[in-house]
Amino acid sequence: MDIILGIRVQDCVILATSKAVTRGISVLKDSDDKTRSLSPHCLMGFTGEAGDTVNFSEYIQANVQLYTTREGVELSPQATASFVRQELAKSIRSRKPYQANVLIAGYDTSSNIPELYQIDYLGTKVALPYAAHGYAGFYTFSLLDRHYRPDMTKEEGLSLLQQCVNELQKRMPVDFKGVLVKVVSKDGISIVQE
Amino acid sequence: MSGYDRALSIFSPDGHIFQVEYALEAVKRGTCAVGVKGTDCVVLGCERRSTLKLQDPRITPSKISKIDSHIVLSFSGLNADSRILIEKARIEAQSHRMTLEDPVTVEYLTRYIAGVQQKYTQSGGVRPFGISTLIAGFDPKDNTPRLYQTEPSGIYSSWTAQTIGRNSKTVREFLEKNYDTETPPESSEDCVKLTIRSLLEVVQTGAKNIEITIVKPNSEIITLDNDAIGKYVDDIEKEKQEQQEREKSKKKD
Amino acid sequence: MGSRRYDSRTTIFSPEGRLYQVEYALESISHAGTAIGIMVEDGIVLAAERKVTSTLLEQDTSVEKLYKLSDKITVAVAGLTADAEILINSARVHAQEYLKSYNEEIPVEILVRRLSDIKQGYTQHGGLRPFGVSFIYAGYDDRYGFQLYTSNPSGNYTGWKAISVGANTSAAQTLLQMDYKDELTVDEAIELALKTLSKTTDNSSLTYDRLEFATIKKNKESGEIYQKIYKPKEIKELLVKTKIVKEDDDSKE
Repeated sequence: MDIILGIRVQDCVILATSKAVTRGISVLKDSDDKTRSLSPHCLMGFTGEAGDTVNFSEYIQANVQLYTTREGVELSPQATASFVRQELAKSIRSRKPYQANVLIAGYDTSSNIPELYQIDYLGTKVALPYAAHGYAGFYTFSLLDRHYRPDMTKEEGLSLLQQCVNELQKRMPVDFKGVLVKVVSKDGISIVQE
Repeated sequence: MSGYDRALSIFSPDGHIFQVEYALEAVKRGTCAVGVKGTDCVVLGCERRSTLKLQDPRITPSKISKIDSHIVLSFSGLNADSRILIEKARIEAQSHRMTLEDPVTVEYLTRYIAGVQQKYTQSGGVRPFGISTLIAGFDPKDNTPRLYQTEPSGIYSSWTAQTIGRNSKTVREFLEKNYDTETPPESSEDCVKLTIRSLLEVVQTGAKNIEITIVKPNSEIITLDNDAIGKYVDDIEKEKQEQQEREKSKKKD
Repeated sequence: MGSRRYDSRTTIFSPEGRLYQVEYALESISHAGTAIGIMVEDGIVLAAERKVTSTLLEQDTSVEKLYKLSDKITVAVAGLTADAEILINSARVHAQEYLKSYNEEIPVEILVRRLSDIKQGYTQHGGLRPFGVSFIYAGYDDRYGFQLYTSNPSGNYTGWKAISVGANTSAAQTLLQMDYKDELTVDEAIELALKTLSKTTDNSSLTYDRLEFATIKKNKESGEIYQKIYKPKEIKELLVKTKIVKEDDDSKE
């Protein structure tokens, strides 16, 4: 019952992930970070099978960083998302596929455009204005459908996110211990304090 | 047994491994590289092979490469060989980060590179790498400058200042004379200056044939452009002239 | 023992630290038909001289010097065509694989490096001879715009504004150095390429059946990249237009 939610606004992408780590009926941790930064302008959030997600993300992280040192230039968010999709598409056809769903929040520094991609464990990739995996979408897409505008500022985006989180806290049967919010803009990746 | 699975580098009756010794000759034919440690930085400098008139400087590969965000490497010897070794080092650096959740230390990376080089002196059907490398950087969360050298044989060593490649003997003599291990260059500017001065001992054409990269703690890596290097070269030339004039006037007295 | 002793000797250092096989491969290329690449602001021109010609050769289908590697990269070959085809094949596969992974055209340097790494491999691993080819790569990507590279059997590669490989390369390079200017247009570059080639050719005159020709250009409005490998008829017209061949000359043949 992890929460993962991304909103792309005018000049940045907001990515929120729940802070709870649960196992069965127990909460093991309330300060988890379900994201990995792949490059200075590219952040990946993930949900899915506990071990798979971190393992997959760190594998992607290592490969994207290797590309950056090798070429001396960042991989564009579009290219990163394609690469991740390919890895998941390969994985689903292997003996033991990764059970990992991801959102990729990136800022293309050459065209100055924020980008948000949703990729699931089957290798389906879509570029979206706002996206989620799992339960988060069920409760929040109605709000986002109603209030989202592509020309929103970061502040407006964050307050829409707040509305979404309120709704989730009201409707979800379990406590997900709040969300960790990060923003990817032309200045890179930053954490939003509550 | 087919011919090519036999080791190419074998002992001769008098105890030499000729292929390794010959590989060192290839290093000596390569352009010169210098590494100098300061109190809080390491500088790598190298001679760029004469840039021909129609060469495109934008896209001609550099001789100083980043291995990870905190380590750079320069080499002397066969350019093509270096790419292969650098690629292996970069993969190891990322793989280390992934499995250990920590960046590599400079010594670890040096040992790894030297290990690869050693393997190529003892495996079937391959020749040794025709390169020596200088590896510079800082360990994670540490302020001690590090500078290492590796050789085709797989030997590695730690240095306060070192040089490899063509004319390295001249440059080393210069460094031995001008580098005081008790008081290493304090500012990065002094360190760069000493590096360029040592290179100018053997590089005739000045700034446009020199590359300089400075490494500082916390993954700060600065590559100087031609103009910046040019300024240092001008300063050095001026100082040299002034000194000559002083000596002249002394003689007159 | 006999021959076995030699096939493992292909990739070893000489006592002076040289790789003779690589040098011999380079030597063989200096007898191959000349190829020229000229890069200007808005495009690149590739021209290559074909050595073997016959009136019986099918002109339309016998391309042996120029190949498209991807939608934005063309290569000119000097050396053993059979060796080249192997590398061109892997280049094409690699370019498509990159496109498949990243949904972006492969950057020119990555492809050049990839091929150079393959070439390097054949100079270090036993039992193989090096590839007897040099390439001129002409390509475009978003990072550096138009780019011109060469690679040779050693696995080294370099970026250029204008370059020649193959026979008479030093003469051609001198001519290019004299006449190349940064502000040339593609049409002027075409003329320069043909002029240079016609002056350096061993044969008395440069005829259309001895020549292969390609351009890469950018559409100013749409920003699209166009690659064109010229047909024999178009080369014929080009030679007349640039006055390398007079019209009546042609009819005499």
